[in-house]
Amino acid sequence: MVDAARQPRIDVKAFTEVEKVEGFVGNFKVTLREKAKYVLADRCNGCGDCAKACPIEVPNYFEMNLAPRKAIYIPMNQSVPLIYSIDMDACIHCYKCVEACGQLEAIDFSQKDKLVEEDIGAIVVATGFSHFDPSVMAEYGYGRFPNVITSMEMERLSNSAGPTSGNLIRPSDHENPQKLAFINCVGSRDKRYVPSCSNVCCMYSIKDAILLKQMNPDVDITIYYIDIRTPSKGYEEFYDRAREMGIHFQQGRPSLITEDPDTHNLFVHAEDIALGEVTEKEYDMVMLNQAVIPQPDQNHMSSVLNVAQSPGGWFMEYHPKLRPMDSPTDGIFFAGACQGPKDIPSSVAQGSAAASRAGRILHSEEWEIEPTVAVVWPDRCSATTKGKACGLCVKACPYGAVKIVGDKAAEIITAKCHGCGGCVAECPENAITQLHFTDAQLLSQIRAVLADKPEEKIVAFRCHWCSYGGADLAGTSHFEYTSNERGLRVMCSARMDTDFIYEAYRLGAGAVLYSGCHPQDCHYITGQVIGAKRAARLTKLFNRMGMTKGRFRVAWISAAEGDKYARVLNEMQAVLDDMPLEKLKAEIEELKPQMEKRLKKFPNVPGVSEAMDFSDTLTKAINEQKEIG
Amino acid sequence: MSHASTVTSFADEVKAIPGGEHLELCYSCGTCVSKCMIQQKIEPEFNPRRLLRMVMEDMKEEAFNSPTTWLCSECDLCYQACPQQIHISGVINAVKAIAVDDGKATILHTAKVNQQTCVACGLCAEACPYEAISIVQAKVPFRGMIQVAKVDPGRCMACGLCSAVCRSTSISIPDENTDDAIIGNLWDWMLLQEVED
Repeated sequence: MVDAARQPRIDVKAFTEVEKVEGFVGNFKVTLREKAKYVLADRCNGCGDCAKACPIEVPNYFEMNLAPRKAIYIPMNQSVPLIYSIDMDACIHCYKCVEACGQLEAIDFSQKDKLVEEDIGAIVVATGFSHFDPSVMAEYGYGRFPNVITSMEMERLSNSAGPTSGNLIRPSDHENPQKLAFINCVGSRDKRYVPSCSNVCCMYSIKDAILLKQMNPDVDITIYYIDIRTPSKGYEEFYDRAREMGIHFQQGRPSLITEDPDTHNLFVHAEDIALGEVTEKEYDMVMLNQAVIPQPDQNHMSSVLNVAQSPGGWFMEYHPKLRPMDSPTDGIFFAGACQGPKDIPSSVAQGSAAASRAGRILHSEEWEIEPTVAVVWPDRCSATTKGKACGLCVKACPYGAVKIVGDKAAEIITAKCHGCGGCVAECPENAITQLHFTDAQLLSQIRAVLADKPEEKIVAFRCHWCSYGGADLAGTSHFEYTSNERGLRVMCSARMDTDFIYEAYRLGAGAVLYSGCHPQDCHYITGQVIGAKRAARLTKLFNRMGMTKGRFRVAWISAAEGDKYARVLNEMQAVLDDMPLEKLKAEIEELKPQMEKRLKKFPNVPGVSEAMDFSDTLTKAINEQKEIG
Repeated sequence: MSHASTVTSFADEVKAIPGGEHLELCYSCGTCVSKCMIQQKIEPEFNPRRLLRMVMEDMKEEAFNSPTTWLCSECDLCYQACPQQIHISGVINAVKAIAVDDGKATILHTAKVNQQTCVACGLCAEACPYEAISIVQAKVPFRGMIQVAKVDPGRCMACGLCSAVCRSTSISIPDENTDDAIIGNLWDWMLLQEVED
């Protein structure tokens, strides 16, 4: 921290909140709220005379409320920058601090929060994590029994800069505890609270046990665990060392802690899995290794930064294996536990990676983006033709890349567009197109796959990231599925235009699959949601038309679900097999006029009628088995 | 290379019965065992964690012969404490149901009805916390076709409540805990209290 503050090209803005993030990669406009410290940063020299004079004491959050601090304070001795601030909730306005400050005149009670706008090239988010409050688990008695403490409290109690100068005492009688129990997985790996593993606690409790044992070899420590997880380099050796030092490891999650009300000693009830016996052991003090959870304002930050969250609330990375430090939004990166629970080495690695990724942007004159961006034909937009923009494209964009100013046609901010195609498919006027996935291109593909015996074919619309990968996996895993499937790739289920599906049925397709990512896996933040809404609408419409159930199928299939892809396709094939061919053909003919009615405007889209002419020639050639010149 | 089919394993049989679904989520943390009052006060061999493991490992006979299958009182203390939210008594009940279907009798004693004296008043059926007693039509020697109480051995937990409420002493648990034995034990205990005072 101190090094970072000394670096002339690093500007540390402490006590500042990000209010708003606008713009795009390389050109962010970030609004910061510099909170009022009531102390002038350029005058305060951090001497601390004001704190000595202050008569108010409140619990010090940094010391886990185990020690007091004054109403004018610095959070800790190593604070950067070393500038005091006044906690206005605690201050009684006695102005003793002003007196103590004297000649420096650094204290200014009239200070207000300041909003600052900065031009930012790239953003690294490193907001860290928070702790699960174990007092909601009544069985462990945290908050009721004074000698049950959390790992963070233990950290302060055993720290030489902490409130007891490193002398480990137990809260009830300030004696040095001789017999300690550490309990792992408090709240984590627990479906009732935090279902995931917190990653750091196993190593953390081993570290604490070794430190305490080094300070006092007579202390008796038992670690209760479900599984000890020591997967990284040197971790298992560290675990061995702890065992060799005489630290007891007992497998078995405690179900109850009770207290002797006279001595405040604690009894831990747990099954010793190795013995198959229930044990009830007495300890002087118990430490709970509480679960790692997202910051309380993680949801708020997620909407400020416009980055999605994974299940569990952590920020979602672009790709879990290949781009773990990138957010789905270009120019925003993650470092450390805000993206998921991780230990110090992993956080440092991710932080360095994020910094170098951000550096790439700062050192480029130009920035390459995906070429599949959306483009507007302004003359087709309803703003031009009807005088009022409908705004559906703005609603559909997960990135806020579509802009409608006044009565002008919609405009795409190309640098912000990620190419999901949501706006393209949503536009009722067909006024937007997606490069490399134009209506004409996709139409040609649909026509080609349905050229021959369309009633036998199953047209599968797959999203690039998930269901296409699922189909790939089904193939490489040799899962057998119907050979009548014809896959068409689009970037996201949001791009699966109603027109394509009408066209497929108009051409006589036997069945259509509408597939994409699961909502939490979508690579375009909320692209899948847009696709899913449309799919639900279509399902309702086709039901009303009287289409046989199963001829239009919606399925969310991840890239790891090759078996599901094969199963869904086989089920669709079974629907077709169950239908007599004449009945199927009759149904197709019956619904054709309705499809044609809905496709009336489609040939007017630029390029589409040419594509239709071309694909008609192509279809003819395929059916006659001829080459076309 | 051939493997035994896992499709019709014991675990699947148990999972198919409502209550047994989440069996495989168990990671053997032992919370249920240390929460269990039956394990701590009555039967040290009672161990829900091990029963779950037996089911997962296809150890059918061992599961049927385990006291865990038969002694659970469904107090559900373990269900509240289970971090994986497995309805353990549901799993145990599923194992019990399969055992009964397989013709396995409970290792517990079962309440016995004296059909010669039973008057089918239904008090026992009302009192039974396990809904193990019903009043049925049966042919009884010397009495003909009459209504009598009938005990479902799969459900009876041998608690003795029926015996306590029966006004014609027609139902009881046939074991060493006869009324006389219990009253004798009570006397011994009260005498002991007097000495201590």
